[in-house]
Amino acid sequence: MNEATQSALLLAQQLIAKDHCYLDEKRWPEWLELFTSDCEYWVPAWLSEEELVTDHQTQLSHIYYNSRAGLEDRIARIVSRKSPASVPLRRTTHMSANLAIEDASKPGEIQAKISWTCHIFDPRSKKTFMLFGTSHYTWRQQLETWRIAAKKTIIQNDYLPSMVDIYCL
Amino acid sequence: MNSAQTIHPHLYVDDRPQEGIFRVHKNVYADPQVFELEIEHIFNKTWSFLGLTSQIPKAHDWISTHIARSPILITRDGSNEIKAFINACRHKGSQLTRTEKGNNKYHSCPYHGWVYGSNGKLADIKDKEHAQYAPAFDDESHDLIPIGKIAVYKGLIFGSLSPDVPELEDFLGELKFFIDLAMDQGEHGMEFIPGNIEFAYEGNWKLQLENGTDAYHLTSTHVGFLDLMAKRAMGQGNIEAKQFDWQKRFSQNGGDFQFEHGHTLIWLNQAEVKKRPIYPSIEAIEKRLGKDRAEWMLKMRNMSIFPNLQIADSTSLLMRTFRPLAVNRTELRYWCLAPIGEPAAQRAWRLRQFEDFFNVSGLATPDDTITYETCQNGFESSKLDWLQGHARGMMSVQAGASETAKALGFSPQASVDAGFMVQSESSFHPIYREWARMMKAGVLGGKTYE
Repeated sequence: MNEATQSALLLAQQLIAKDHCYLDEKRWPEWLELFTSDCEYWVPAWLSEEELVTDHQTQLSHIYYNSRAGLEDRIARIVSRKSPASVPLRRTTHMSANLAIEDASKPGEIQAKISWTCHIFDPRSKKTFMLFGTSHYTWRQQLETWRIAAKKTIIQNDYLPSMVDIYCL
Repeated sequence: MNSAQTIHPHLYVDDRPQEGIFRVHKNVYADPQVFELEIEHIFNKTWSFLGLTSQIPKAHDWISTHIARSPILITRDGSNEIKAFINACRHKGSQLTRTEKGNNKYHSCPYHGWVYGSNGKLADIKDKEHAQYAPAFDDESHDLIPIGKIAVYKGLIFGSLSPDVPELEDFLGELKFFIDLAMDQGEHGMEFIPGNIEFAYEGNWKLQLENGTDAYHLTSTHVGFLDLMAKRAMGQGNIEAKQFDWQKRFSQNGGDFQFEHGHTLIWLNQAEVKKRPIYPSIEAIEKRLGKDRAEWMLKMRNMSIFPNLQIADSTSLLMRTFRPLAVNRTELRYWCLAPIGEPAAQRAWRLRQFEDFFNVSGLATPDDTITYETCQNGFESSKLDWLQGHARGMMSVQAGASETAKALGFSPQASVDAGFMVQSESSFHPIYREWARMMKAGVLGGKTYE
C-alpha cells in the first residue's frame, strides 16, 4: 500500500465515522455540513431480484438528489416534528466494515466504498430492524475541509419496514 | 359451534343514507375472521389487476404476481395470447417460477423436473417412460391450472380466480373514462418505469384502500410535507423535484364520483398544469383525444379500482397494488407509470416528482403508512366500535351524474361537485357498499354476481 492510499484510508475512516455518528446522534446541522452544496446523493432501487438500477435519469430510485437541498428538506421535515413517520424518531446504530479506497490518485479527491449495516429500533412499535448494503463515497477537499461530493448507497434488503429515512441508511 | 360461520361482516357497514348515516365498524379492519372471509368472498371471487401487457410484449414473456394468497403466472404464449395460471407445479405444488419475470418457451419445475409450455400445457414428465403410473393417472389433466378468467383493458391485464364475474369492461363500467385518462396518455401505450418499490406495513389493507381517495388527511398527516412545499414555492429547498405549490390546491374545485362494483375517484382542478410531466405533450394529446380529455389529464385524479388497485395522478402518475397478507399486515407495490417513448427530460422530471412524494423513502408515503399502523393499534381496543370517518361530506352527495359528469359524458352512481375544503369522505361509500354486498353474498351462500 503506498503512502497516498494509506493516508486516504485513515482520512476516509474518520469521514465515514462522522457520517454515521452524526446520523446516529441526530446531529443534523453537522451532518449536512459533511456534504458539498452540489453533492449527488443516490439510493438506487433494484430492477429485479439480482440487478440494480444503473441510471437515475431513466429508472426509478429510492432517493436521488443532485444537490444538498434534497437532504436539507429531509432534515427540515424531521426537525419540524410534523411528520408522523418521524415522531418518535427511530434509534439507529450504524456499523461499517470492508473499507476500500477506490481512487486516491486525484489531488483533493478520494473515492472509497464500505459495507454497512444500520440497526434500527422503533420505540413506537418496539420493533428492531436491520438494513444493510454498501456505500460508495466521493469526498472533495474544500479549503481545509473534506466534504462528501457523492454518496451512492445500495440497500441489499430493500423490502422496507413501513418507512425509511436518510438516518436509517 | 364454529363462530367463523356465525359472523355477518356486512352488518359492520351501517349504510342508511336517508338518515344521513354511513358508519363502518372497526372490526372490518381488525377481526381475523373477517379477514379470512374477505380472502374467500372478495379476493377469490372478483377481478384483480395482474400487470401490464407492456410488461410481456414478446411471445413467451412472463411475469409472476399474486391474487391474495395465490401465486399467479402470467404468460404470453407462442401464438401471442395472454394467459394466467396458478403458479404451482401440478406434481408437488412447488411454485414454478422463482423470479418476477422472464422469457421462457418452457417452464421446468426445479423440484422433479416436470415441464410446461408457455401456454400452460404439460410438455414433459421426467422419466415418464419408466414411471409405472396406473392408467388412472393418465386420465387426469396435468396442465397448469388456469385461473377463472383473464381479460385486458387498455393494456391493463386483469384476472379472476372465479369464472363467475362480469365481463371486465362491465366490471370497470363508467370508471373506464378515468382509466382511459391514465392509459391513453402515451400515444404508443403506457409502461412501468424499471425499478421496484415494494414494502409492507403492519395494518389492514383497507387502510390503504381508503387513503387513496382521502382528501381530508392531506393537511394533517402531510403538514410537514406541505411546509416544505411552501418553502419550495419560494424557490428554496429541493426545487429540482418540480413539486407543486400545494397551498394553491386548497382553493380549487373538485369532487368525487362513485361507481358500480366498488370503484371510486376523487378529483381536483390543477393550478399548475405546467408542472405536469405530460404538459410538453399536451397539444399532441389534445389533437389525438380532444380538448376535454387533455384538460382532464392535467387535473388531479385519484381512483381506487376495487378491491386493491389504485391509479393516482396527483403528482406524477402512480399505480399501486396492496396485497392482504394478514388482518394486520399488507404488502404494497408501487409503479411509476409513464408513456412509452416519453422524451428523456420528461421521464427524469416524472421520476423526481414520484420519488419525492410517493416513495416509501420519500416525503409523503411514510407518513401514511405509519398512520395506518397507529390506526391498527387503536382498533385493538374493545371499547372502540363504530368509526366516525365515513360521514364527512354526505350532504354534498348527489345521486347520479353531476353537471361535470354530464358534460364529460359518463354516468357515475353518485357525484360530488364541490370545493377542495369539503374533503368529502363519501368516496369511501362505494367501497364499503360493494364490500358488504360481496361479504353478505358469500356468507349467506348467494351468488356474488348475478
